[in-house]
Amino acid sequence: MAKLKFQIVSPERTVLHDDVDSLTVPTQEGQITILPNHVPLISTLQAGELIVKNAGKTEYLAVSGGFIEVRPGNEIIILADTAEHSDEIDLERAEQAKAQAAEDMKSVKAKNSPEYANFSSVFQKNLVRTRVGVRKNARHTPVRLNEKE
Amino acid sequence: MPGLIEVKRRLKSVKSTKKITRAMQMISAAKMRKAQIAAVQSRTYSSLAWEIITNLAHKVDPKYHALLSQKNNTKKIAVILISTNRGQVGGFNTNLINSVKRFFLDQPKGPEEVHIAADLIVMGRKGREAMVRLGESVIADFPKSDKTIGISEILPISKLITEDYLAGKYSKVVLAYTHYVSTLSQKPLIKQLLPFKSEGDKADPDKHKDLPEHYKKNNFEYLFEPSPDKVLDYLVPRILDSQVYQAILESNASEHSARMIMMKNATDAASDLIEDLTLTYNQVRQANITKELAEITAGRIALE
Repeated sequence: MAKLKFQIVSPERTVLHDDVDSLTVPTQEGQITILPNHVPLISTLQAGELIVKNAGKTEYLAVSGGFIEVRPGNEIIILADTAEHSDEIDLERAEQAKAQAAEDMKSVKAKNSPEYANFSSVFQKNLVRTRVGVRKNARHTPVRLNEKE
Repeated sequence: MPGLIEVKRRLKSVKSTKKITRAMQMISAAKMRKAQIAAVQSRTYSSLAWEIITNLAHKVDPKYHALLSQKNNTKKIAVILISTNRGQVGGFNTNLINSVKRFFLDQPKGPEEVHIAADLIVMGRKGREAMVRLGESVIADFPKSDKTIGISEILPISKLITEDYLAGKYSKVVLAYTHYVSTLSQKPLIKQLLPFKSEGDKADPDKHKDLPEHYKKNNFEYLFEPSPDKVLDYLVPRILDSQVYQAILESNASEHSARMIMMKNATDAASDLIEDLTLTYNQVRQANITKELAEITAGRIALE
């Protein structure tokens, strides 16, 4: 079966550049899965979990917005605002950042102000990070996760 | 033959100059490393973003996004010139400004026009001074910080060009900056930002040859989700920002590299000069001793 030539870059670095089997992407319209021979597509991303499947292995990435371009010839390019592998996420700090953002959101009265939008996007991003970060623990050390709970 | 004290004085001044240039070389080297890393790392992102927009530019109906349309009612162009604040960078700014001048000359002109109408948006003191000297109209001057900046700091620039372009003030917006090739080599570049120039024809024709016929270059349509105007609204400003941002990063990396090299040359030249002067100093000293000895000996012979 044809593979997807997949590349995800953030302004800081190339996060992943590999041939993969399938790709599940959080677009603003909802989650979509891209398989080989997809039609050319351009769409925008929202904060969420990116699932990369390749040869029976699954990788999880946290992204916080950006866009995806599917080019003819199974070439897929994601330009993400930020992107992290699940095992790069520091779960504790992500939880803290999430809690902080939630506090900040409460402190802003006007729900349509730019500050509120900023805090809410930080909250979204860290919510996703905590979720994706848990994936790593669930996969590698399920025992530790049970102990925490 | 210069006097002993004179040579000594010069030697001392060259030595202290060398100390200064060596210190400046080290500062530039540290800044250079940071700036180079920043420029190289974000290069993939911005070049992919640029590919997307140039791919799209000739496929999408301009009606979906105002920035995709051509403005033909004016010949005026806007130039964003990214130079440096300080000198001591060798031919860096001169090369950049010369390439801007050449670019002006290459522009198509109306029959009675002698000079191309252009407005400049400058970043960096040296570029502004040069353009004012040339009598060009500088419409905006953005401060340029020495540090690597955040992307939010370039939003005012992109806002300015977007608004003016949409208002039909300019037929073209170009970026003039120095592309960082390596520590030893930087290249002044003029890049057309708006309208987006499609590079579809120039792209590698073999790249898509093993695809089915209906997918070949220019022969397919993109699917937009949710809708073309929404996607483009989100996409186009971001891509513009990333291009301006990348140009600034490239300029920074080039500036620090150029300064590092210049300071290294100065330090090397000072070392050579010190060597020469030390030799002269010793020669003069030796000559003096010989002369004195000869005088003493002559005196003794006279006494005997």
